Amino acid sequence: MLLADFGTSYCKILDTDRNGPPVIQATRDLESNFCADLATGHNAGRRSKKSINELTALARGGEQLIQDPDFVLLDCGSRDIKYVRYGHNRIIDMGWNAECGASMGFTVELLKKYYDLDYNTIPVPDRGFSVTCGVLGMSHIFDAVIDGITESEAVARFVYGIAMNGYRFAGSPDRLYLSGGLCDNPLFVGSFPCEVVLLGRFVLLAGLQEFMKRDIR
Amino acid sequence: MSKKKVGIVGVPPLEVIKALNREKCRIIDLDEPQIQKAINLTSPFLPKVYCAILRTVVLNAMHLDLDKIYIDVGPGKCDCAGHVATILESMVDYPVIRCRNMDTVSFGTPVCRTGMPLIDKFMTITGKVQSDASRETLMPCKPTAGFWGVPPRDFSILSIFPETTHIYGWTRCMENKTPADLELEAYFNPDIPTVFFAQSFCAKTALAHHFSKLHPRALYLDCDVTAGSSTRAKIEAFLELSGVRTNRD
Repeated sequence: MLLADFGTSYCKILDTDRNGPPVIQATRDLESNFCADLATGHNAGRRSKKSINELTALARGGEQLIQDPDFVLLDCGSRDIKYVRYGHNRIIDMGWNAECGASMGFTVELLKKYYDLDYNTIPVPDRGFSVTCGVLGMSHIFDAVIDGITESEAVARFVYGIAMNGYRFAGSPDRLYLSGGLCDNPLFVGSFPCEVVLLGRFVLLAGLQEFMKRDIR
Repeated sequence: MSKKKVGIVGVPPLEVIKALNREKCRIIDLDEPQIQKAINLTSPFLPKVYCAILRTVVLNAMHLDLDKIYIDVGPGKCDCAGHVATILESMVDYPVIRCRNMDTVSFGTPVCRTGMPLIDKFMTITGKVQSDASRETLMPCKPTAGFWGVPPRDFSILSIFPETTHIYGWTRCMENKTPADLELEAYFNPDIPTVFFAQSFCAKTALAHHFSKLHPRALYLDCDVTAGSSTRAKIEAFLELSGVRTNRD
């Protein structure tokens, strides 16, 4: 069975008939006729036989991967951020910020390429910008550079700002389970003022696998 | 002689509705979309970042040929309605009559508690604002989900909920014909998963947010003119993860 998490920038694809790990492919490179059996994400409706709501896939994936009965799981994607909060193994809150406050992951990657930065080598700054969304956040970077701050420091403050934005959006938990491509960005992860447990990029795929098992049962 | 066309905003006092019905006026609810026009046409009169319900009021007033408007500017509506009344007075050349609905006679809330598609419940309740008839008898159903709030600008989100959804908040006050009854508005059922709906830029968003924090299984949902896919997805996920069977199951 072909499972897919169709992200805005990257697709995560798992063929359950093979034993290999999931494959990550840039969305722009995906063949036009690619069709999954079960999928989630923005393009799931038109690129799969059956689609699952992203928040539901995130929650089901979290249930599979997290042993703690009380947890907050935040998924930081290219276009949006979303979270689920569980108490006593039961969903008690959730949120999905898809419009205002969006495009942050995408902007982080754009900035890396434009300024030729390596996020592994940039230290976490002691403060960040107040970032409302990716586009407005970039204005802060441009202004900071004009004021003489280095490009890497300005971008670091932007990244710090979006981490704080996600942290507050998720309800400022003491421990945060993090999902999505930004798990691989140490500057972003280090900017959270709380314990961060990295779950990586395949949490929604884990959620789809759970749906698949239920369908089989 | 043709019927007089009278626009209403909010829930005018029952005596006003009775008088309009006696005069056989045609009552038009200006809170609801009555014409197919872009809401941005209201931008000469109202900021774009403003309550979509009140922008709809202005849009309707711009395009409908009315004889007068009754607008509730009391605690049963909102402060913004008073400001919009000022704008309407400068826009139209017929009377804009400010009223304050302080009615306390309860008409009951059978529609809010019965088993029926949620969209039909809302259409029934908003339609009954124009009526002064006594309440009908409907059997209550056991609730599996709750919807707290004002009637949304975009009714399409209501189709996601099961027929066993009970309505709370100001919409319940509407059906009861006591729009200023804050005690009734504040009531919710903590035993059922509940969506606390907030019409963006409406003053009642604060109440929706506050009550959602007090409720053990709540989703605070903010929505502007139309509901996007993420708004729908939030409702679907909330209901599904709360174990509520929906119309799509």
